[in-house]
Amino acid sequence: MYLFNSEVVKNQKLTQNIFRLRLKAANDFCRAATPGKFVMLGSDDGLFDPLLRRPFGICRWGSDWFEVIIKVVGRGSSQLSKFEKGVSVAVHGPLGNGYPNNNPKNDQKTLFLVAGGMGIASIASYLFSALDRNQSLAGTFLFYGAANYSELILLNELTAADAFGLQLQTITDDGSCGRQGLVTQLLTHELQSRPQSQVFACGPEPMLKSVQKVLLEADCDGYLSLENRMACGFGVCLGCVQTMINKDDDANVKTAKVCTQGPVFPARQVIF
Amino acid sequence: MVDLKVEIAPGVTLKNPVLTASGTFGYGREYAPYFDISKLGAIITKGLSWQPKIGNSGVRITETACGMLNAIGLENIGVERFLTDELPILQKLNATVIVNIFGNNQDDYANLAAKLDGIIGIAALEINISCPNVKAGGIQFGIDPQAAAKLVAAVRKKTSLPLITKLSPNVSDIVMVAKAVEEAGSDSLSLINTLIGMAIDLDRKRPVLGNVTGGLSGPAIKPVALRMVYQVAQVVSIPIIGIGGISNARDALEFLLAGATAVEVGTANFINPRAAIEIAEGVEKYLDEQGCVKVTDFIGSLA
Ligand SMILES: Cc1cc2nc3c(=O)[nH]c(=O)nc-3n(C[C@H](O)[C@H](O)[C@H](O)COP(=O)(O)OP(=O)(O)OC[C@H]3O[C@@H](n4cnc5c(N)ncnc54)[C@H](O)[C@@H]3O)c2cc1C
Ligand SMILES: Cc1cc2nc3c(=O)[nH]c(=O)nc-3n(C[C@H](O)[C@H](O)[C@H](O)COP(=O)(O)O)c2cc1C
Ligand code: FES
Repeated sequence: MYLFNSEVVKNQKLTQNIFRLRLKAANDFCRAATPGKFVMLGSDDGLFDPLLRRPFGICRWGSDWFEVIIKVVGRGSSQLSKFEKGVSVAVHGPLGNGYPNNNPKNDQKTLFLVAGGMGIASIASYLFSALDRNQSLAGTFLFYGAANYSELILLNELTAADAFGLQLQTITDDGSCGRQGLVTQLLTHELQSRPQSQVFACGPEPMLKSVQKVLLEADCDGYLSLENRMACGFGVCLGCVQTMINKDDDANVKTAKVCTQGPVFPARQVIF
Repeated sequence: MVDLKVEIAPGVTLKNPVLTASGTFGYGREYAPYFDISKLGAIITKGLSWQPKIGNSGVRITETACGMLNAIGLENIGVERFLTDELPILQKLNATVIVNIFGNNQDDYANLAAKLDGIIGIAALEINISCPNVKAGGIQFGIDPQAAAKLVAAVRKKTSLPLITKLSPNVSDIVMVAKAVEEAGSDSLSLINTLIGMAIDLDRKRPVLGNVTGGLSGPAIKPVALRMVYQVAQVVSIPIIGIGGISNARDALEFLLAGATAVEVGTANFINPRAAIEIAEGVEKYLDEQGCVKVTDFIGSLA
């Protein structure tokens, strides 16, 4: 991982409170990025206000830049969302372990990507990485749910991934785009006809909890990307831990650091 | 070049006065990718208990104005695994190691001290008597000068390692506790641990932290920490290690002026993994620019 001060190349407003920041980065950083990894971002003004850096998924990257998508929910995200072209940002990353590589055997399988709300930033990193390397997305489904139409982002790019074979289904809480309901409904439905699939999911905890339930009921493996609160992002504060099943001893639980052992975990292991 | 060596306890001379605070530096090796940790005065490891401890459930951290609250619950791997898995790595990294310990009762502390006595690669013990979760007959050791003194005396008997007693700020008179543990045989003092605080999620009408209360750290507590170091320095004759919100070299230098022989960097390590070494380098640069010959001349030189 790398520690550096980067420069904002572009700040694009996607919705009223969601921003897409493109930042400069060295080649080494970009080579170390994989889908599902994240960065800790903060101001480099030395004022320590906001104090801690904030975690954001690396959504897309090139050879000398990367992008994050930031939803404004509090002081940290608000500060970052206001950084315009030329502003310097403190970056620490790429951090964590992303989604597993789809090995050739897995490639035969269907891949279901499940994104809820801002979980799309993490899930889209998988899609963008495939698109940017001209990889086929045949057999890949994206189930993307949000509160309403205006909360659905990146729709142009996601629709364009059609050409690569991506099958996109959207769903909203209020029915303003796609079906009305929860994103897990789409997963439940499609899993019935393709039980031997691979599943990657990212979204709010209640959503991940119900994805886990669906997977267990279908006896299907999958991976969940968690977004626990983090102070450090590199395994030293123990603020981000999640209770997990202890593989060595079924009767026992253990904790895992989401930042260094995750944020992507096998769905069966997580205890919500 | 300024001489940065400081003696933080009898026989424990450090190459510079910048240490890392327990619970903010993992077991040390996590920082090795970012800088050479042997360049720090010392590193203080995450608080160790006799048995491994799993910590608190629910939300464990939240940011507050210029600070953060944590309720980790002293999660750690236990003394046995520390000795087999972590200490050898620290030795390979050539770090000066101070081990922070805590227990649920006096015997726990005494047993830990006995276990660590004579082990090569440990420079000193820091005894955490200031953890909000540690109870002694319903009273926290750290808030009662007599209980604190009794504990230090018991630990003293079990080890020949230098003892640093880490004090709680959550007391009505920290000077009394400081004097009591000095008399009981503590070789030095470190202060302060976190201040107990609370955050509330207004809209959900709930405490933010799973544990309801947590320890406040970061720049928000620096004025309180400075005041306490200053007051204690007036009355004790053993070395003091200052802790609390130290985020840059100037902060560290202020603690030295107030009478601290050394400082520990805590929360700042989370924000920038290189914070501690940058602070050590900054202290050196400042003192060089001031034409200071020895850092010990600067310590306690507040006008
Ligand atoms: C690995 C990881 C990847 C992430 N990727 C993205 C991303 O790509 N885009 C994005 O917009 N956000 C992402 N997040 C969430 C983002 O980090 C938080 O929204 C941000 O830290 C909030 O900071 P703040 O100061 O704005 O809000 P605060 O003032 O700290 O909190 C405001 C509100 O946000 C909630 N909140 C705080 N931290 C989190 C968190 N970690 N997860 C969920 N809710 C939180 C709090 O409960 C509170 O109600 C990610 C989080 C993690 C751990
Ligand atoms: C996440 C976290 C965990 C901590 N764990 C310990 C611990 O295990 N033992 C201990 O004595 N102090 C612990 N502390 C207290 C720090 O060592 C330090 O005293 C305090 O944070 C004040 O310094 P700071 O403001 O520079 O962080 C912890 C602090 C934080 C923020
Ligand atoms: S965020 Fe600090 S240990 Fe994971």
